[in-house]
Amino acid sequence: MSSNLILSLPSDLNMSIAEADRVAFFQLVYRGFERAMESAGSVDRFYTIGCYTLRLRFAGAGLMPQLAPALAHLEVEPTTNPDLTVCLWDNASTQTKLPLLIQSFVELIQIHWTDYLGPRKEVKAYDGDRIRTNFHIGPNILSVLDLQQNLACYWIDDARNIPYWEKGSPLQTILNWWTTDRQHQYVHAGAVGTPAGGVLLAGKGGSGKSSTALACIASNLVYASDDYCLVTTDPQPYVYSLYNTAKLKGQADLDRFPNLAPLVDNVDRVGLEKAMLFLHQHHPDKIARGFPIKAVLIPQVTGKPDTHISPATAGAALRALAPSTIFQLSGSGQTAFGMMSSLVKQVPCYVLELGTDMVQIPIAIEHLLSQL
Amino acid sequence: MENGTVFRVNSPQVVSETIDGEVVIVNLDKGIYYSLLKTGADVWSRIERQLDRQELVREVVRSYDGSVEEIEIAIDEFIANLLAEELIVIDPQPRAASTENSPEILETSGSKPHFEKPLVEKFTDMEDLLLLDPIHEVDVDAGWPTAKAA
Repeated sequence: MSSNLILSLPSDLNMSIAEADRVAFFQLVYRGFERAMESAGSVDRFYTIGCYTLRLRFAGAGLMPQLAPALAHLEVEPTTNPDLTVCLWDNASTQTKLPLLIQSFVELIQIHWTDYLGPRKEVKAYDGDRIRTNFHIGPNILSVLDLQQNLACYWIDDARNIPYWEKGSPLQTILNWWTTDRQHQYVHAGAVGTPAGGVLLAGKGGSGKSSTALACIASNLVYASDDYCLVTTDPQPYVYSLYNTAKLKGQADLDRFPNLAPLVDNVDRVGLEKAMLFLHQHHPDKIARGFPIKAVLIPQVTGKPDTHISPATAGAALRALAPSTIFQLSGSGQTAFGMMSSLVKQVPCYVLELGTDMVQIPIAIEHLLSQL
Repeated sequence: MENGTVFRVNSPQVVSETIDGEVVIVNLDKGIYYSLLKTGADVWSRIERQLDRQELVREVVRSYDGSVEEIEIAIDEFIANLLAEELIVIDPQPRAASTENSPEILETSGSKPHFEKPLVEKFTDMEDLLLLDPIHEVDVDAGWPTAKAA
């Protein structure tokens, strides 16, 4: 299978030396995947991301149970021509090692990460227009994408070390790089609504996005995201679901949503991690793959009992949506900012003043949607 | 500040969008974002057009009701603030100033809005999303691999 995916040695005379080096780097990382596949075999899974087909090619048994549940609601039948292929493996379950040069480089980054990494964890020397490279220091996840081949590599030493937030919203870096190139923007936002239209919930962590999304599960509204989703503005503002993950913060959320508490996936680690559940496993009917965006809401926790919705400026919505998205995602810049600016210009924006009576939240959103 | 000095937005690490009269600016390297309103947004648009300092002051004086001295001091202070925040830099090789998106200059003194000192509103609440705190959701005191308390 490898011959139709990986290119031959760089020979294009128009290619700069730096880009040729990055292509050679990608090839060597990909060679690591081929070794893993030769050693442990591979399994393909296909998903619909926005209007594109994604193939995840897993070598070894380590990563699939960690990363596939969050995307399960988007799984589709195999196709011969996926738009993007991501090759995923870990050394532990495949019992392989990275090619020596890559392994040495990865070790070097871990020691001298301040020299090698940019502020959003991009590997500076290997991050260019065609080849994008990111190293998530800490869990030590290497992500590399060749935009020309629509082929990416995702590696970690031991899949058991995948952090819970990566399990909840996997492949952020690669999906962000790839979709931005196609006028789709990966955003840090929740989304709830009806098949006819819904709202985007914009705000930094702790602003109330997740609580709002969770409050809507027991209502007439459907759920597309509590944290990360994909948006486009052409031909109309539209949000696509990426993950069916729902996260509960601490005992307060577990008490607030007693219907969801028994469904928590990482119950043995709650206290160390946010409680997390995969809604597709329990409430598949509540998950929407997407809907038109009718409004952007900025949740604000008030501590008062009642929920109200009041008008907000587009600038306030952009401040709630864009910085938290851009600072988290490697490769986001003016294009991403422009897309989010275009979005908040096209739909009305509101402050969602969240009350403590959770039942009122979906009712207020439903009422707003009925008026738009 | 010298009259002929021309500034430019410190791109690509600084990105900005103007929306309903508000300029939202993001410094990608520092994890800080900013908001400019009213006169601040107006001056920013003139910086984007690459007006030199003298022409910038001249246009603002023609557009607003206020003394030349007051406007000059306020603009110099505003520009110094933008430079200190690394949102703009001095352009050593400026292009010819652009007339594109040139804001309307009100010549009739009666219709001029009152000049308000341009201000930079700064937001630092998301700095920790960048590599300064390299591991998302890490406990700030205990460090990696201890996660923040859920």
